[in-house]
Amino acid sequence: MLADLLQNTLDGLAAGASYALVALGFTLIFGVLRRANLSFGAAIMLGCYAAAAVSQQRPGLGLVALAAITVLVSVLAGAYVERLCFAPHRRGSAVAAMVASFALWMHLEEIAVLLLPRHVVGFPPLYEGEPIVLAGLAIRVESLVALGTAGAICALLAGLLYRTRFGISVRAVIASPLAAEIAGIRTGRIFFLVFALASAIGGLAGFLVAATDAQITPMMGMWFTLKGLIAMMLGGLGSLPGAVMGALALGLIEAHSQWFLGPQLRDFLVYLLLFLLLAAAPKWMRTHSAS
Amino acid sequence: MDAYALGLLTNVGLLGFLALSAYVMLLAGEMSFGQQAFFGVGAYAGGMLTAMAGWPLPLAAVAAMAAGALAALAVALPTLRLRGLYFAMATLAAAEMARIGFELLQWQVDRDGEPVGPDGTQGFRGIRWVFESGLAPEAWTALVWSLLAAVLALAALAERSRLGATLRAVGEDPGLAAVLGLDVDRFKLGVIAAAGALAALGGVLFAHHNTYIEPRNFDIMLGVHSLAYALIGGLGTAFGPLIGVVLDVGLLEGTRVFHGYRMVAFGGLVALLLVLRPRGLLDETAVRWIGRRFS
Repeated sequence: MLADLLQNTLDGLAAGASYALVALGFTLIFGVLRRANLSFGAAIMLGCYAAAAVSQQRPGLGLVALAAITVLVSVLAGAYVERLCFAPHRRGSAVAAMVASFALWMHLEEIAVLLLPRHVVGFPPLYEGEPIVLAGLAIRVESLVALGTAGAICALLAGLLYRTRFGISVRAVIASPLAAEIAGIRTGRIFFLVFALASAIGGLAGFLVAATDAQITPMMGMWFTLKGLIAMMLGGLGSLPGAVMGALALGLIEAHSQWFLGPQLRDFLVYLLLFLLLAAAPKWMRTHSAS
Repeated sequence: MDAYALGLLTNVGLLGFLALSAYVMLLAGEMSFGQQAFFGVGAYAGGMLTAMAGWPLPLAAVAAMAAGALAALAVALPTLRLRGLYFAMATLAAAEMARIGFELLQWQVDRDGEPVGPDGTQGFRGIRWVFESGLAPEAWTALVWSLLAAVLALAALAERSRLGATLRAVGEDPGLAAVLGLDVDRFKLGVIAAAGALAALGGVLFAHHNTYIEPRNFDIMLGVHSLAYALIGGLGTAFGPLIGVVLDVGLLEGTRVFHGYRMVAFGGLVALLLVLRPRGLLDETAVRWIGRRFS
């Protein structure tokens, strides 16, 4: 019983590490734009599909090269979304930007499926050996990679945001786009760069999930978008440390409730928790006004 | 008219109810990701009443609309003070709970030696009231469209009245509306209940049109589609949402020009359209312009 609890906790943290990367991407975009990017998951999916397509043509390609392709295509797709959905609506309606990003979700998802039209597409696995067994617990190497990557990205992101000039500009835009603009920061450029940065982090998450599962499906775009949105909301909309906490909490809740209640009730429980939290609206969930 | 075209026409009408429901929410200043849940509540409630309890469709439709309105109120009461993305995510969470609820719903009764009723993820077969009542397909399509026309006529009347002005005032600036002496919360609850009932009416008709429904029908994609229909058609008139549906289902699916590329074309077109017209094709300015031409 205790071993099961520990094992679930471990698996939950590993899943949470991937969620954390997606939630960080969502939060960066929401932080500067105050808009949710519904096509975020689809851009990640397109990156994964592009990498899978390349690896079908060139089977010998290494994992690092595939990760680079996933990240690159995700960033290109993200930049495309920013230009088409968010740059034109910067001072306008949030609803228009969100519906436009939803439309591009369909658009990107369909392009990915046209690229590789099978229902399930194989993806080169991250690791093919057996899990490490330690004190009765099975520790998957993929989980360690996911946790390590998420930790490294968090550290790098913190360094970037708190130690560099670019980071100061980004934080200024997050605090107040108008004041940042008056202070001479080219906000349009910051929006674009943050979008690209967020897409790169998302692409990395996509690669980790695809290579861990060793397969990709047309459902993965929606999966990324939903998990990222939920983790971001759980952690208090717009806070980067909150997004990581929310993602880890989501991973843990899912792993434990799946064990005790099964997959249907697991999802139900997550949505119920999200609904109740939103309805109760505790203070830490209101770090930003969402218009 | 062949069966395919007739089915397409009916589908446009059915989705029209849902798009209109999302449109009413947008006018009230609320972006809902969850109207598909009330469409689903209507479909399940209506289907169970006709197929399991043997009610006639009109009576079942009224009951299903009441169920949709109540479900919408149950979601709105605890979330009314949430704004923007908070409200959208709360409605999304509620709608996904409803969908999983349909997946867990197992309740079948014996009718003419066959089990009838919701069978979890296997869906709900045998909602055959339209077939059993001997309604011709043309008559059924006409019925769906007359109901939609009636709803649209009512909506058009409401938009010209004090009610429409109040709705837009509450949506534009709830604070200012409250200062003007409007009970914003009560008004919004009324609007949300009406939008829920409208979606449920669409759901009842959807269930009886297809004779078979399954939980997957009412997933998040349907909800976001209805929001997109409402916005691209335009926020200026109640006919806007219908234009959105016609553009997607009628033009792109119906003509099959973009076969295989339908979503690529539709997605790109919508994003481009919103760059040019952020409040949709028939926005308030366009509607006023047309109004002057014909007055």
